Amino acid sequence: MNGMDRIVIEGIGGIGGFGCGVSDLTRALTGSACSPGTFALPTGSGTVTIPAFRADVSRLEEFIPARTLRRIDHFSRLGLLGSYLALADADLPEAERSRVGIIIASGYGATGMTFAFLKSLIEDGDVCASPTCFASSVHNSAAAHISIQLGAKGPNLTVSDYHMSVPSALATARIWLAEERVRRVLFGAIDELSDLIGYIRYRTRDALTAAPMTPLRTEMETPIPGEGAAFLLLAREGAARGGYCTLDASTTGSLPITGGPFPEPGLLVLGADGCRASGRRYAAVARNARVACYTSLYGSMPAGPAFDLAAAALILKGGRVFPSPGAVSLDFPATVPAGGDPVGADRISCLTLSGDDTYGLTTLGRVDSP
Amino acid sequence: MLPLLKHGEVLCTIQRMSVAPIAITGMGCICAAGRNLPDSMEAILRGERNPAAPVRFASNHPVRYPVFEASGFEEPTDLPRTSAFALHAAREAVADAGLDRRTFGALRVGVCIGTTVGTVVSEETFCRGYLAGHVPDMAPIRRILRCNPADVIAREFDLSGPRQTVVTACASGTDAVGIAGSWIRAGLCDAAIAGGADELGRITYIGFISLMITDDSPCKPFDAHRKGLNLGEGAAMLVLASERALRRSGMRARSFLLGYGSAGDGYHQTAPQPDGAGLRSAVSEAMATSGVSPASVAFVNAHGTGTPDNDRVESHVLHDMLPGIPFLSTKGYTGHTLGAAGAIEAVFTAACLEIGKIPANAGFETPDPEIANTPVREVTTVRGTVALSESLAFGGNNSVVVLGKS
Repeated sequence: MNGMDRIVIEGIGGIGGFGCGVSDLTRALTGSACSPGTFALPTGSGTVTIPAFRADVSRLEEFIPARTLRRIDHFSRLGLLGSYLALADADLPEAERSRVGIIIASGYGATGMTFAFLKSLIEDGDVCASPTCFASSVHNSAAAHISIQLGAKGPNLTVSDYHMSVPSALATARIWLAEERVRRVLFGAIDELSDLIGYIRYRTRDALTAAPMTPLRTEMETPIPGEGAAFLLLAREGAARGGYCTLDASTTGSLPITGGPFPEPGLLVLGADGCRASGRRYAAVARNARVACYTSLYGSMPAGPAFDLAAAALILKGGRVFPSPGAVSLDFPATVPAGGDPVGADRISCLTLSGDDTYGLTTLGRVDSP
Repeated sequence: MLPLLKHGEVLCTIQRMSVAPIAITGMGCICAAGRNLPDSMEAILRGERNPAAPVRFASNHPVRYPVFEASGFEEPTDLPRTSAFALHAAREAVADAGLDRRTFGALRVGVCIGTTVGTVVSEETFCRGYLAGHVPDMAPIRRILRCNPADVIAREFDLSGPRQTVVTACASGTDAVGIAGSWIRAGLCDAAIAGGADELGRITYIGFISLMITDDSPCKPFDAHRKGLNLGEGAAMLVLASERALRRSGMRARSFLLGYGSAGDGYHQTAPQPDGAGLRSAVSEAMATSGVSPASVAFVNAHGTGTPDNDRVESHVLHDMLPGIPFLSTKGYTGHTLGAAGAIEAVFTAACLEIGKIPANAGFETPDPEIANTPVREVTTVRGTVALSESLAFGGNNSVVVLGKS
């Protein structure tokens, strides 16, 4: 993709445990308290309450009439709210909305509807299984609702690669813009915390305690499940109307990272989510780097890397690093700048690790950088 | 020139220029028609099809809807059936391309796979146990999370390039092929294994029945008496390669991926836009990027599910945009294989171009007065160097690839 215009992040829309919109996200990043809520999870031995970063989608009614929302499930509502927030943040004119391409990344998809369909099938029988739940259970249901509400008739893609969904989908977003398929891509990552995912998280983690997430302390197991949506409106630099930063590169591959460790790492934002095993891998890859980590503001979820990108974009726009929550007394073999420190370079990279050897690396730059 | 879009629709993608063709050096396929591509092609050209009530799973639904199972395929216990299909087809495609681990090692190879169920984190036995208040075994969930089809293929061949699992419902396989082509043109990788895979299971079977779009008899795409689709399962994979990869590996182009287009309807979750505007945009983009004229199109492998809505919309678009060009649906031989469909139909399209003939549109007998054109009714010799393969999907996704003869 040599020679193409740079890509600019024009708008950000985010909802999660921290709140709703750029102002809430900035407030959380700046250091306001952001405590997890709870999730009442039915299990075989009764209801268990686990900590969780839940997202409140009630503000969606500012954009879409409540009547229209009646048959739209939580997963798609997350996507719709993220979309409208990003478009509003970029102040994109109505007339331009129908011309955006849509790319959605989701680790788990519409699991609430998937489970609801299974429940209808199991409890009501094969003849009475719910067609509404089945139709809404497809992974691309949120992308469909977004395109319907926006009247967007451009290319429309949904990608699901678990924890690598965001960097994988971003690579294709960059290509769409490079190929000039579209002038803008509305890129979003969505994951919901359904009963099914909550139960799977409950069963697969050593502990789900209410203790704060400390992803930069690798001796501790502190993941707290999250849900939410983070959307970025991307445009070629020539077409962009201002913006937060540039999206310079997005690559995925197998470790070790070739040509690295990292391109001019003014700061490396880590997707570490409090899981001990993955935390150790992050520590090994990011050894001696200058790092930050903000996952404890939105929780552990495959969509998390999109929130990392939003945080990095806000840092580049403001020129100052946000404090990494829970970084006191860390055992992480890297430098963690204090809140308010200058970024110190023109670029920030966001690192996502998955499994034993897979990585995603996305690099953002200052709009006025060379 | 292509006809203009109908009904005042504006082509919302930027006007595209033609792009460089990408070589297809290997193909593999497994479906109800056969365990590999040559067997499948022989079967569909003989007109064989064997839809039957499902054997691999039970249902207490009083109607036994016919399906197209890939009979005789037993997946290894450590892989979900979808990933096992994907791997089976990938091995055939890689062997067909003349590749081995050594030649792969010299290339940066990506994997782009379309699926609908391959990344769904649910399993009926697990959910039954959970709902019953038991503590269900986590093994099926762990296996799903470990065995995303793109990851399985990348691990098998030790590939270091980009990986992506496309989940645009029934357009997934077509999108995966088109996206992999873009990766290669953009230099993200030298070559790619691209395609689609999906298994047929109880959940999908009951789900489609609940939507009342399944036919209780063998499906009849484009027929006046069509009542819906029959589900199928399987996978198909293509090895795509850059010029550089051809030089370095000694692979030869079997055919070409010439163009790709996709567009959303922005209309409805499960029904196609009645005027087919999204499909028209996708066809326009695919034709524009391929740089070919309608006169060189030998045939169209249509989505042709056999549902009243799909076939009506699709045939009108074909009649308007590619009038007089032979078209068919191969779903009468394979069933609707969902995320695999676009890939299976792409390899059938390329294989048909190679031999210069297409099979009959199985199940078609009676022309529909609402449809202006009719599919081919018998094995037909085709002339022309390119062909289109189309996919329409839930969510309003429309995707088209243009394939060319070597």
